[in-house]
Amino acid sequence: MFSLAFAPLDAVRTAAAQVQGSQINDFLGEVKPDFVPGWAVPLTAAAIAVGIAMAIVSLIAMIGTWLERKVSGHIQCRYGPMRVGWHGWLQPLVDGIKLLLKEDMIPKGADRVLFVLAPAIVLASVMAAMVAFPLGPGFYFADINLGIFFILAMTSTTTIGVVMAGWSSNSKWSLYGAMREAAQVVAYEIPLGISLLVPIMVAGTFNLIEASNGQGGGLGIFNWYIWPWVNPFMLPAFLLFFVAILAETKRAPFDLPEAESELVAGFLTEYSGIRWSFFFMEEYAAMFLYCVVGSFFFFGGFESPLTSIARTTDVNVLIQVAAATTIILKGFAGLFLMMWLRWTLPRVRIDQVMTMGYKYLTPLALACVFGAALFEAFLAPVLPWRS
Amino acid sequence: MDFRGIYDRLRAMKAPGMTGCDEPREKNPEDKKDKGRFGDPYVLVEPALLPAFLDAVRMDAHLAFEMCIDLTASDPSTDDENLWVIVQLLSLTHKHRLSIKCLLPKANPVMPTSVPVHRTCQWHERECAEMYGITFEGHPDPRNILLPDDWVGSPLRKDYEFPEEYHGISCK
Amino acid sequence: MTQTQEHSPTISQSEGRTLESGEREYMLDVRTTDLEVNMGPQHPATHGVMRILVRADGELTTGAQPHLGYLHRCAEKIGENVEWLQYLPYTDRYDYLAAMNNNLSYSLAVERLMGIEIPRRAMMIRTICAELNRIGSHLIAFGTYGLDIGAFTPFLYMFREREWMMALFEKICGARLTYSYIRIGGVFNDAPPGWLSEVERFCDTFDEKWQEYVDLLMVNHIFVKRTADIGVIPKEMAIDFGLTGPMLRGSGIDWDLRRDMPYELYDEIWKSGCFEIPLGTGERGTLGDCWDRVYVRVMEMRESIKIVRWCLANIEPGPVIADIPKTLKIPPGECYVGIENPRGELGHYVVSDGGKVATRVRVRAPSFVNLAVLEAIMPGTLLADAIAIIGSTDIVIGETDR
Repeated sequence: MFSLAFAPLDAVRTAAAQVQGSQINDFLGEVKPDFVPGWAVPLTAAAIAVGIAMAIVSLIAMIGTWLERKVSGHIQCRYGPMRVGWHGWLQPLVDGIKLLLKEDMIPKGADRVLFVLAPAIVLASVMAAMVAFPLGPGFYFADINLGIFFILAMTSTTTIGVVMAGWSSNSKWSLYGAMREAAQVVAYEIPLGISLLVPIMVAGTFNLIEASNGQGGGLGIFNWYIWPWVNPFMLPAFLLFFVAILAETKRAPFDLPEAESELVAGFLTEYSGIRWSFFFMEEYAAMFLYCVVGSFFFFGGFESPLTSIARTTDVNVLIQVAAATTIILKGFAGLFLMMWLRWTLPRVRIDQVMTMGYKYLTPLALACVFGAALFEAFLAPVLPWRS
Repeated sequence: MDFRGIYDRLRAMKAPGMTGCDEPREKNPEDKKDKGRFGDPYVLVEPALLPAFLDAVRMDAHLAFEMCIDLTASDPSTDDENLWVIVQLLSLTHKHRLSIKCLLPKANPVMPTSVPVHRTCQWHERECAEMYGITFEGHPDPRNILLPDDWVGSPLRKDYEFPEEYHGISCK
Repeated sequence: MTQTQEHSPTISQSEGRTLESGEREYMLDVRTTDLEVNMGPQHPATHGVMRILVRADGELTTGAQPHLGYLHRCAEKIGENVEWLQYLPYTDRYDYLAAMNNNLSYSLAVERLMGIEIPRRAMMIRTICAELNRIGSHLIAFGTYGLDIGAFTPFLYMFREREWMMALFEKICGARLTYSYIRIGGVFNDAPPGWLSEVERFCDTFDEKWQEYVDLLMVNHIFVKRTADIGVIPKEMAIDFGLTGPMLRGSGIDWDLRRDMPYELYDEIWKSGCFEIPLGTGERGTLGDCWDRVYVRVMEMRESIKIVRWCLANIEPGPVIADIPKTLKIPPGECYVGIENPRGELGHYVVSDGGKVATRVRVRAPSFVNLAVLEAIMPGTLLADAIAIIGSTDIVIGETDR
């Protein structure tokens, strides 16, 4: 259970540096009694932020697993879970309890420290990334200027955890999984980052909220960056981004690190119970996070007809709720798309993954950036709807 | 080609090691002890020359037995002093089959391997070796295939006694 | 990890050679120690309890050695200890995905020794059952192959059709997997009323679904990329290893026992021209690759439907089992009968000494023979390809180990 305690602590440490100037921090600063020292404020704020982040991560993982089972079930002409609650909506809760109660096993010959640490690192990094995820234009833990950068950096830290898990398990299948994960993530970080440069260039900011604000107006739809009239290189950039996040989150057809028919369960082979569930929570949270990032930079972020209507009322709470609903729905729409792909496509081979990443996606992403830059520099200023 | 034709051709080409053939016959109504012999005809081959025989019938254009379908053994009874090694050949070109039987003395069940001729014999011979205790000389990989490596005895021999226990597991 | 890895490059003296100019040339050996990985006995891709000892250099396999016997149930020994009729249920257990075909092979072997005539209606029902079971078996083969490649959904679609097929068998004989329905002398009982028309409905539905599978998996770009040019078995190698069934036809060799050495009614069916023998063509890659083998299976399903339709159109009322005694005494002799099982030629070599019990029952199991080719084609492929190759051989461990 060491890792259970460790994960939030690690996240607190990471988040503490980032929550300076967050809403919670400001609020705590105002209500702080005099006898509390000043340095306690950001720490407490960070702890609260991480607590909320952890709750969100678990919630997303629960909804994610339920959705996965339902989506796969309906794609495969069956129902999926139906017994626990209406259409099995309580199933993830029951599963969670089962996983908690399972025997905590560490295989013989495993590197115990690394084995225990690995799921904690994986979960901590995704929770830290969650800190930068704004739920509404005025409702966030930390309004980080380099928000997208922070999220990418934190989520790719999970790789270290996965490699640790694979190495420490003392199983050759785990080692294979870890090596594949490392190779794959390194290959796809590049096109992922480069393809994101296109909307970043258009938005002129790394900040998620500012990127969203840049897409306002036009009934909440027509100013999304994805549209070709904003920048024709945005759609190919999004496709590259989507393929790259599939690979980053180890989702089919790029689920090689797990590859259940080849590597038994890859780096997860020796994990069970709560530790195993950590990896799963990370997977769903990371998927959701990447989808949210995608919607912030390509699909209007908070902007939707719903938010536009809410804006007309001028009630701040309504606007925030509408924005939060919008972004969560967009995130889950992306999640659904990823699940749909998973249950449709076969798996590609490791050399094909590498070829695709290095030989096709990276040059294409670079070409996209180049084209988009030219467009931004010469054409965008003269387009009436871009001025 | 039917069996007669194949047999005539085998004799004409002087197939190495062939000693004769056995064909089914009705039972003799006068002899009460005779039960007859039914089923398939086969040719008898000297075990030591089986690989040469297989190679010869594969190369012969009229027979062209390219494929070895099966190689197995049989222990007719405890009284018999011979084991049978039975090979089923198939010709894809001429669409005919041939059964071959080799009589191998139980006292010294050693014969050369047929793997150089048909690689499919590799696993069949491993199975025969472990089940009947036949030694195939020159076999590239003479390990047990279905039985554990430390299994004692030849289970498909008629005089095989089941072991009382195996690694502490009761077998009876 | 306990694996020892030699990372330091070494110059091996033995591999040095003198060039024409008089200089010495050495091979710089920078290879690391190969990893030995046990694929199995519990591994999702071995389709049962089989172990393949894979030597791997990173993702590249440099050697593969199948280890069998985990499911050895002494079928041949049992055959020498039970009566002729009692052995029939054991035949269900070798290739449990195609139990009808196993029953048929054994029954034909014993019938050949007895020299009895089988009623025509029995042969019709036998053919229908065997071909339906071939479809079911190929559905599993194709579905699990998709699973090996990473596509989960087609597998469950195929189970849907197989479920119907099993329901049909349940109606005719009460069992869903181990039927023992085809008996020595005919079949156990006549088809219940309405059964034949339901088979017809199955055939109609299946044609439609078949197209779906082909669109969903067979021509899927990723699937083709994963299977084409992988695990190529050239014609000579296929014959050398005694491969039969779809493995042989996948290598482009036009051989099907149903046509070339017909048993039962297949001669008549073939002459009516209602079915064809699909062959591997190498249209997506090289002739004899994994894709071709799977393609042959997929095409065979549709041919089987045609055979079933022919039987349905020509079936007539009549007796379904020949008059045979309860305790069989088989006349002395020996014979070998091989039939076209979904996996290849399933042969029974039976020897009788005239008694109630067989002297020898030898099972020539297609999976056992087909599996041997792995040792030859797996080295040099990627680990993921190794899985694709194992899947394309379509083995049933119950049959390899017997």
